[in-house]
Amino acid sequence: MKKYIRMIVGALLVLTFIVGCDDSFLDEKVLDAYAPATLKDKLGFEAAAIGLYNHFSTFLTTTDDQTILGMFQLGTDIVWNPMGRSNGLARPYHDYATLTSTDGASIRLWRYLYRLISNANILIKNAESGSIAGMTQQEIDAYNGEARFFRAYAYNMLATLYGGVPLVTEPVTQAKTDFVRASLSDVNNLIIHDLTFAVDHLPDIDQAKEARVNKSAARQLLAEVYLRTNQPSKAETLCTEIIESGNFSLIKQRYGDVSNPGDPFSDMFRVGKQRRTQGNKEVIWILEQENPTDVPNGSTGYPQQRRIWGAGYHDEPGMQPCDSLGGRGLTRMRLNNWVLYGLYPPGDMRNSRFSIHRQHYFNNTQSKFDNIRGKAVPYGKDTLFVLANNDTIKIFALDTVYKLAPYTLKWGHFDPRDVFGYGMWKDFVLMRLGETYLLRAEARFYQSNFSGAADDINELRIRANAPLVSASDITLDFILDERARELLAEENRRMTLVRTGTLVERARRLNGTTPLANGNIETTNGLQDFHTLLPIPQTEIDLNKDAVLEQNPGY
Amino acid sequence: MKKILFHTGGNLSNMFSRKILIYMRNALFLLFITAFNVFANDSYSQNTKVNLDMKDVPVAKVLSAIEEQSEFYFLFNARLIDVNRNVSVKAENAKISDILSTVFKNDNVDYIVYGRQIILSPKNLDAGETLFQQQIITGTVTDAASGEPLPGVNIVVKGTTQGVISDLNGKYSITVSSSNVVLVFSFIGYVTQEVPVAGKNNVDVALVQEIKELDEVVVVGYGTQKRSDITGSVASVSKERLSSIPVTNFMHAIQGSTAGLLVTQTSSVPGSSGVMQVRGVNSINANTSPFIVLDGIPFFGSTNDINTNDIESIEILKDASAVAIYGTRGANGVILITTKRGPKSQGKPMINYHTNIGMEQMSHVLKPMSPAAYVKKYADYMEQNGMTQTMVLPNSSEVDNYNAGITTDWLNEITQSGRFQEHNISISGGTEHIQYYVSGSHLDQDGVVKGYQYKRTSFRSNLDAKITDFLKIGASGFVTNNNYDGGRVNFLNGNAMSPYSVPRDSLGNYIIYPMYPELMFVNPLIGLTVQRKDRGLNLTGNGYAEITPGFLKGFKYRLNASYIYNITRFAQYTGRAYNDQSGTATLEDSQTDTWVIENIVSYTKDFGKHHFDFTGLYSAQKVEYFRGWSRATTFINDALAYYDLAAGTSQSNDSQGNIYTLASQMGRINYSYDSRYLLTITARRDGYSAFGANTSKYGLFPSVAVGWNIANESFMKNIAAINQLKLRVSYGETGNQAIGVNQTVTTASTVKYPFGRTALTGVLFSTMGNANLNWETTTGVNVGIDFGLFGNRVSGTAEVYKTQTSDILLRRNLPGITGYNNVWANLGRMQNVGLDFTLKTVNVQTDNIRWVTDLNFSTYKNEILELYGDGKDDIGNNWFIGHPLRIIYDYEKVGIWQEGEDVSQTDPVAKPGDLKFKDQNGDHKITADDRVIVGQRDPKWIGGMTNTFTYKNFNISIFLQTSQGGLKSNRDLTYADEAWRRNLPADFKYWTPENKSNYWPSLAAYKNYRGFQFAEDYSYVRIKDITLSYTIPKSFISRYKLEGLTVYISGRNLYTFTKWFGWDPEMTYYSRGWSDSSGSWENNYPPVRTISFGLNLGL
Repeated sequence: MKKYIRMIVGALLVLTFIVGCDDSFLDEKVLDAYAPATLKDKLGFEAAAIGLYNHFSTFLTTTDDQTILGMFQLGTDIVWNPMGRSNGLARPYHDYATLTSTDGASIRLWRYLYRLISNANILIKNAESGSIAGMTQQEIDAYNGEARFFRAYAYNMLATLYGGVPLVTEPVTQAKTDFVRASLSDVNNLIIHDLTFAVDHLPDIDQAKEARVNKSAARQLLAEVYLRTNQPSKAETLCTEIIESGNFSLIKQRYGDVSNPGDPFSDMFRVGKQRRTQGNKEVIWILEQENPTDVPNGSTGYPQQRRIWGAGYHDEPGMQPCDSLGGRGLTRMRLNNWVLYGLYPPGDMRNSRFSIHRQHYFNNTQSKFDNIRGKAVPYGKDTLFVLANNDTIKIFALDTVYKLAPYTLKWGHFDPRDVFGYGMWKDFVLMRLGETYLLRAEARFYQSNFSGAADDINELRIRANAPLVSASDITLDFILDERARELLAEENRRMTLVRTGTLVERARRLNGTTPLANGNIETTNGLQDFHTLLPIPQTEIDLNKDAVLEQNPGY
Repeated sequence: MKKILFHTGGNLSNMFSRKILIYMRNALFLLFITAFNVFANDSYSQNTKVNLDMKDVPVAKVLSAIEEQSEFYFLFNARLIDVNRNVSVKAENAKISDILSTVFKNDNVDYIVYGRQIILSPKNLDAGETLFQQQIITGTVTDAASGEPLPGVNIVVKGTTQGVISDLNGKYSITVSSSNVVLVFSFIGYVTQEVPVAGKNNVDVALVQEIKELDEVVVVGYGTQKRSDITGSVASVSKERLSSIPVTNFMHAIQGSTAGLLVTQTSSVPGSSGVMQVRGVNSINANTSPFIVLDGIPFFGSTNDINTNDIESIEILKDASAVAIYGTRGANGVILITTKRGPKSQGKPMINYHTNIGMEQMSHVLKPMSPAAYVKKYADYMEQNGMTQTMVLPNSSEVDNYNAGITTDWLNEITQSGRFQEHNISISGGTEHIQYYVSGSHLDQDGVVKGYQYKRTSFRSNLDAKITDFLKIGASGFVTNNNYDGGRVNFLNGNAMSPYSVPRDSLGNYIIYPMYPELMFVNPLIGLTVQRKDRGLNLTGNGYAEITPGFLKGFKYRLNASYIYNITRFAQYTGRAYNDQSGTATLEDSQTDTWVIENIVSYTKDFGKHHFDFTGLYSAQKVEYFRGWSRATTFINDALAYYDLAAGTSQSNDSQGNIYTLASQMGRINYSYDSRYLLTITARRDGYSAFGANTSKYGLFPSVAVGWNIANESFMKNIAAINQLKLRVSYGETGNQAIGVNQTVTTASTVKYPFGRTALTGVLFSTMGNANLNWETTTGVNVGIDFGLFGNRVSGTAEVYKTQTSDILLRRNLPGITGYNNVWANLGRMQNVGLDFTLKTVNVQTDNIRWVTDLNFSTYKNEILELYGDGKDDIGNNWFIGHPLRIIYDYEKVGIWQEGEDVSQTDPVAKPGDLKFKDQNGDHKITADDRVIVGQRDPKWIGGMTNTFTYKNFNISIFLQTSQGGLKSNRDLTYADEAWRRNLPADFKYWTPENKSNYWPSLAAYKNYRGFQFAEDYSYVRIKDITLSYTIPKSFISRYKLEGLTVYISGRNLYTFTKWFGWDPEMTYYSRGWSDSSGSWENNYPPVRTISFGLNLGL
């Protein structure tokens, strides 16, 4: 017995000694995440590119604060804030007196863009690290171009909204806290260089996978950059290249499923018709969104566009969310009266009931509403209704001012499985030919080619059944008005107005500066010239402890 | 653990262990009345055989060896029996009586057996023997507390060897040479008293009992030590506290009980534990919770896995010397938990049954606004924002209910009366060769908020066996299953619900949005419709083998091997009733496999007054984690819940895994001379796989400690008031490895994006690695004094310490320009200077009444000394050199802007009712530059006080706990822009032009765009628990063959004194939208008051 015990103990001793002495015992191996070194082949490049799209989409799909998307629209010339509806991160963007360096939206946007730049830098560096087995130079350059497109996209947004910002063109591999702002022209040069490379190396739209960037998307972005940097002739050339590429055409006929009433313009914004493969030949760059219930990981968040643009009509007694009304909105922004009542000429398709919803009818299916269902919901006046069961409901004029105010249907979306609809599952139309004409019109305007500008605008007006314009009508303001007509709720209005230097003047003139409707509607407050540029985020200044990151003046 | 009985010193009061004192009086009584018939008719003592082979050792050693091998204890008076004389004994299978005959063959020593005691006495003992015929002093010696006579008291004429012993009635008679002599009265367990005769013939003396604790044996990590020999800072949680407080997690029992230990109870949800911190924060971002060691093996699992009833002792190692043996894991303190083991030679099994049944209710209710106040609040909101009120309440459903006069008491709807019951049974016993302790327990708890429940079932078996004379093996294992199943109420929404809303429709189904069309706050009860399985299982097995080879005396080798298997399962289904129209099922399983192997050698040597021991360790450990996750959505109906994920139309899944390893070597030397001078030297070398590839991955942590038992010095002998006095000084280094795996390599997370209705896999770089990442080192000095005064009626410990942490493991926030949010780095230095003070006083001590006060107090000052080596603060991270790490950096609120006040010179944007901040830099506007350090987050001091009163068999203990001087953000002071669309606490006030306040801002929208944190002082004093217990007299229960029966009633969280506004000052919670964090009222709720009844039965 004792002998066996001695043997067992001895064996255990030897065993522990062996385990303890193995040199590799303390090596660390990452099991469940990729390291940069493992991604240098075609599949690796592909994954890195998809990562860019994933991250790119996150600002569009964010749910951290529903109001944040309003930062690009509020405080400009097109929307007001119904009291209390955009009080989160977006608030300082119309209540400018409260826009400070600690602003929450500014830091989120900033960090989001630099994360995009960081990932693009890694892909670019890998692409330029020498030959990669199994890939042609053309394939490598295409990925390089794709990354450069996103890098330029991010820097263009930074340059437009913040001015000159720190230039980071290499992956940052260790802590760095001595960034300084580059000059605006250095940033612009990088953007132009990247986009020129992208134009040269990205595939044409039909060679590119759907929803991936392509040569024309790079051209369109570069055209916008050239306009911002006062090089209109180059911008015009790029626009012309897109228009004459033969790849795109304005949607002038209805297409796809036409069983529901509609018109060609609004067809482009219906789920199931947005993509090129679904018949939309106007779209240049689309970002796909899928309902995660049907396609796992079909989105990176729960996009809030419907909620911020759509009206909160369901809040009114006798109303409930439905498909034709675009689902359930929250009126976090309300189109201002200039847009609703002054912008569109009569008959303009872009103002049709399929694009801007203006009149509600009681639609609640509960039996107590039987006697009023189908009746028009009054707008702008207090009205009492007696229901079938003798209950009374009252529609207040004040409520209708924003709950029933006309709203765009471009972001309308309704899922019968989810009437309350947290997310909105439709594609993001990021670039389309309609805007190309507007960009070329702007480029021609800067070159005093007013008739050429009028021709471009008339291309859109022909499609929209709107009255045609002539060279004498063309001013920068007119072009910006036309952009609002065409691109309402699509474009980043703040970017456009900042780029054209018109934010302060147009916001004061068209949005107003005093509250309306007894304070129930806020317009803009405290907007000064320096607000054209956003504050450099205070935490970035604070964390960048080894160099001074200059704040923009005024903050 | 057997206690060591002998001291070589001559002081009577130090002669015996505390355990003996219990028997002493009975023993001496017997000494006098029993004839000295050796080994009276006791079959056990007759049959007990021992083996001894000792050469030239003190008699004390022989007695000690006999005690080791048997269940006997020796009792004797060292002044009368010479145990320092060296003898040699060789005996095989010899009777104890035979050995004693040999040892004392030339001495006049008699011995009797009484129970398990062997009492030694001089044969010529003769009370009242007369040596000098000059003057006879007589008197009676009594117990000061009870007044009862004390037999056997040693009475010596000071400065002579002349003495007598009091008789059975406490009477004595002694002849002295002069009337000026001083008599010294000494008796084991009592304070020695000196009384001048001063010409009297009759000297009556009442002796005071001495309270001794220094000789208890404490667990110190890789071994045990006598408390009197310890040089480091080791606090023990009193056993009484562990056994008498009915709690479900041991952390609740030790909260406030020990100086330097901060336990914060973050939740009252059944099955929740808490957060522990020893002596402040030593690390910035790395883990700051202490390292838990269970039965000598690093503990892996939830603290819930440890059954409080199984715990024998808890020791908390605090200073560098004590924790240095745990190397890279010691910096935050070490908590050693030892479970009960079977006793040696317990005749029959000890069966113990413990039950505890209780009720819970909210300890403090933050009542919501009444319906009328709620209506008024909305009207005030509309008015303050310049809006025209069209409806009496914001939502049409509320208006309907308002018109119909329907209200709901939502707090009543979401809460219930909480209850719990716990049953625990343990059986322990053993023979000389095998000892066992087995236990099983079951706990069942329903929380005060609906849907919260907790069940725990655990089994433990501890086994020790002596296989041969040189080999001892043991195994212990336990299984704990934790069950937190069930859909739960959303407490936050319950508080937010309008009183004019109803939970159910006419069919009895939950209305999803009771405040429709308000959709921000769903029905708080709807969570009850979620099918939810949430389990955790811990299977731990430890085995050891201990070899004590005969050829090398004092040498021991021990092999510990441990395997721990933790699994968790989470399954959840949300369906139509939860407003999930497609149905979603989620499954998550995780498994952690851990093994630990430890080789420990120890060697003990005594020569003369020198004691020496060495402990060496070589250990390795590996932890492997794996997790699988899957989800399916779009089910035909809700029937299958999570039992068939394939029934869902779309599936997604994920898995995750990581491994880390540790290799360690440790050495410790203890040296003591004459129990007066103590020295401990330790060093540990640790290697951790998660350190950077550019480093060696190894760290070395040395420490040294010295102790001086001043009370054992001869010059202290005559100071009767001082019973114990020990000075300890330690200095050493400890480490903190507590960073997670995979922090040293830049990695990309896998992400998805859909292209053509299929989500493709992408990678996104979001984690920056640092290949130079290494451990952080804390260097500390600790000076401590242990004292016992007035017969140890007053005893305690005072310690001051200073620690400095360098190369701090720090998750450093980076400018977003880098593309990353943060990176782990070794940076900077931080310091803690603190004081821990523990005091125990026995205020009243008589036979029937005893009142003991335990007090502990601790405070520390934490300070960042350096961050990046350039002397610059890091405002972005709120780290300021010269200030504590955890501070509130914010605007300074100085009041509320009132009407008519001029805002233009301070805050031009402000309106009446807005928060008024101090313009710190005087630039006439409030900007980020006006933020200042408002205060610290951690309390400035914490303390605890327990008063225990015992009257006969009744015992009542009252425990107060306090935390003072900390600030934290108070979420109940701001509901920001939600204030108008939800209900608020009834005591929530707001500024109005009519009802001006200089504290509460108005309800006007978007008041807080600067992100003011509303930090407030959360100091509090809490009556943490009161326990009243009654031990049924033995005379009564022995009729029913019971060993012991104690019943008690206990109340916890009875009352809190605080100025904090809200549910509770201790708990931190987050506002809406933080449901993923554990500190949200969406999945948590405030403290509860517990009243429980318990019963402890020994068979």
